[in-house]
Amino acid sequence: MRKFTKLIGAATLALASAAVGANTDLDIDRQARNLWHDAILAGYQSLATNAADFSRAAQNYCESPDQASRRNAEQAWRRAFLAWQKVRFVDFGPVENNNLAWQFQFWPDPKNLIAKKARYLVKSEDGVTQELVAQSGVAVQGFPMAEYLLYDKQMNASDKALPATNTCELLVAVADHIAANSDTLSSEWQSLREHFLDTDQYSDATIKAGMAGLEILEERRLAQPMGMRGNGKRSKYDADAWRSGSSLMAVEASLNGLRTYFLPGLSLLLDNSDKPALSQSIKRQFDEVLEHFPEMRAPMEVMLQDDSFAQLQGLYVDVSQLVVLVTDQAAVELGVARGFNSSDGD
Amino acid sequence: MSDQYPDLSRRALLKAGAATSVAATLTGCSLLPNMNSGHPEQYTAAVALPDGTFAVEAINRSGQPVWQSPVETRCHSGCNRPGGKQVVFFERRPGWSFCVFDRTSGRRQARVQAAQGEHFVGHGIFSPDGRWLYATASRYEQGEGIIAVYDAENEFKRSNTYELAGIGPHELTIHPDGETLIIGLGGILTHPDYDRIKLNLDTMQPALVLMNRRTGSIVGRFKPSHHQQSTRHVSVNRDGRIYAAYQYQGPLYENPPLLARLQDGKLREIRFDDATQKGLGNYISSVAAHPENDLVAAASPVGGTAVIFEGSTGKLISSTAIPDCAGVHALKGGDFMLSSGRGQLVRFGAKDTPEELAQLPVQWDHHLV
Repeated sequence: MRKFTKLIGAATLALASAAVGANTDLDIDRQARNLWHDAILAGYQSLATNAADFSRAAQNYCESPDQASRRNAEQAWRRAFLAWQKVRFVDFGPVENNNLAWQFQFWPDPKNLIAKKARYLVKSEDGVTQELVAQSGVAVQGFPMAEYLLYDKQMNASDKALPATNTCELLVAVADHIAANSDTLSSEWQSLREHFLDTDQYSDATIKAGMAGLEILEERRLAQPMGMRGNGKRSKYDADAWRSGSSLMAVEASLNGLRTYFLPGLSLLLDNSDKPALSQSIKRQFDEVLEHFPEMRAPMEVMLQDDSFAQLQGLYVDVSQLVVLVTDQAAVELGVARGFNSSDGD
Repeated sequence: MSDQYPDLSRRALLKAGAATSVAATLTGCSLLPNMNSGHPEQYTAAVALPDGTFAVEAINRSGQPVWQSPVETRCHSGCNRPGGKQVVFFERRPGWSFCVFDRTSGRRQARVQAAQGEHFVGHGIFSPDGRWLYATASRYEQGEGIIAVYDAENEFKRSNTYELAGIGPHELTIHPDGETLIIGLGGILTHPDYDRIKLNLDTMQPALVLMNRRTGSIVGRFKPSHHQQSTRHVSVNRDGRIYAAYQYQGPLYENPPLLARLQDGKLREIRFDDATQKGLGNYISSVAAHPENDLVAAASPVGGTAVIFEGSTGKLISSTAIPDCAGVHALKGGDFMLSSGRGQLVRFGAKDTPEELAQLPVQWDHHLV
């Protein structure tokens, strides 16, 4: 039978000696956190800038609705949404406050709460204010709600379609809400800096966030709509951002975000581990995966058709290999593992 | 549910103390029912299997499998029915049913659905006579925590509902007085339509709640020192000393106390040295007070750490690193058994080095009962 290390009384001694031997590791760890903090801050700032643009574009459109201002609003929505996709993997820190991550993107939405809530709000007799949006729950407060108002076919064919007064008020209020949240997130992340650098647990948290981001991308954003899970049927409705046909553009943005904001810190740790070659393998695999774009920027609906499905499968296979490299190899090498119980939350 | 019950003020309850050893032999899940029932020592837990399916599995004291019974979805925890013939397991939150198993064979005897508009949260406890099953549950539209009472002698029909005046009840156990339910009220609002999103982290009101099991009246409500110390897990020793374990919802760089002892009408919080606190990752999945001694064990899968401390003083006795360890149960003789999400069962005590009892091809879920 295997025996375990036990710390009784000797804990202090053991820790002291560990610290002496591990000085270099601690420095590297801190440097990695430094890279991560700066990179994620850049990502959050880009989100804040793009969200502010979207807020202005929504306002402009509703003040003088025409084809050009509508197109501007849609393009601004997409830029802000893709900026969010780049930092979407960060699932700890200030993005946890007030469920900001869920406010930005309520998904998955199997009960179509977005549509139900939108239909209810645009009928409101008292108009739609920012306060109302702030009180209406996470399904109302983010990119999917704005996407619904801008892109949903049924909505656009109804008498409540933009630029109807209530619908415009809702769009502007949601865009403002996203912009305000983006500012908050960016400044709170900045304030976290010293704690982030000083607290070892943030290294694990960041690596786990990168792993989870990749796994969600593989399993829920690709395998699920591809019919490889659940009932086995292909369905665009299982993807996110299907109303605007942006599911795969969002996948590309998330992969780009992971490469830009997550990989440098991870690589630094791997370069200083027993398996420095892993860092290069992961970089190459990111390149491999991203080579599928821009060709794959088509709507999920199109890629699920028989004649293009093989291409989508190709992307899925490359993403799966990336997941194996990061979660099975890099994380294990760095001693980071998400457990059955540790990720349960009960 | 009209039996007589003693008028238990909180003070009387807390004074109950050592005079309860007779009652202790009657109580349900938490106090080694195995030791007093004349049945062999057996422990049960929810598991995930390598093929992605789920089951409930019983093991003996050496960690050897006794039976494994398949279930439809992931379960969390449960309890033994006094008398030794049945064990009940609840689905993981949001749980839509609980299952009743023959404790000897593992044969499933019943599956009981949650009432309309309610879901279970993974825990239950029997009355000492084995008749009433008390389950923590949530009325999810209203976000109200309740205790749902089922009649085990009447096909587990719902017989009563007690209001908790609070959100997010989780584990409950029963005091050795046989009358008082000890309930961890986590304080976190969730809704099944919103995955497991925590909807109220700024306004949480966690508490340790004491409730008379016959009337549902709340006889004590004790708040942790910080409103984000989600009070999820509870245990009580033979003398009636009550422990609570928290999951802290604040930032990672803070390491507040995660364990507390109810004493003089207050939650006396127990903080270990900084390294041990960090090792616990702001998350305790199980706490167990040993019925034979003053020791209390707790496990953190997030930190991959289990600790044993002296209940009366809070002094750390032992700490060990076991990845994804979560379940803790007292073993006859004074030690504890730990289970992990990696299939390990470990014997862990105050004196000897932790010893791996078994490594089985399952992922042990949060609790051993």
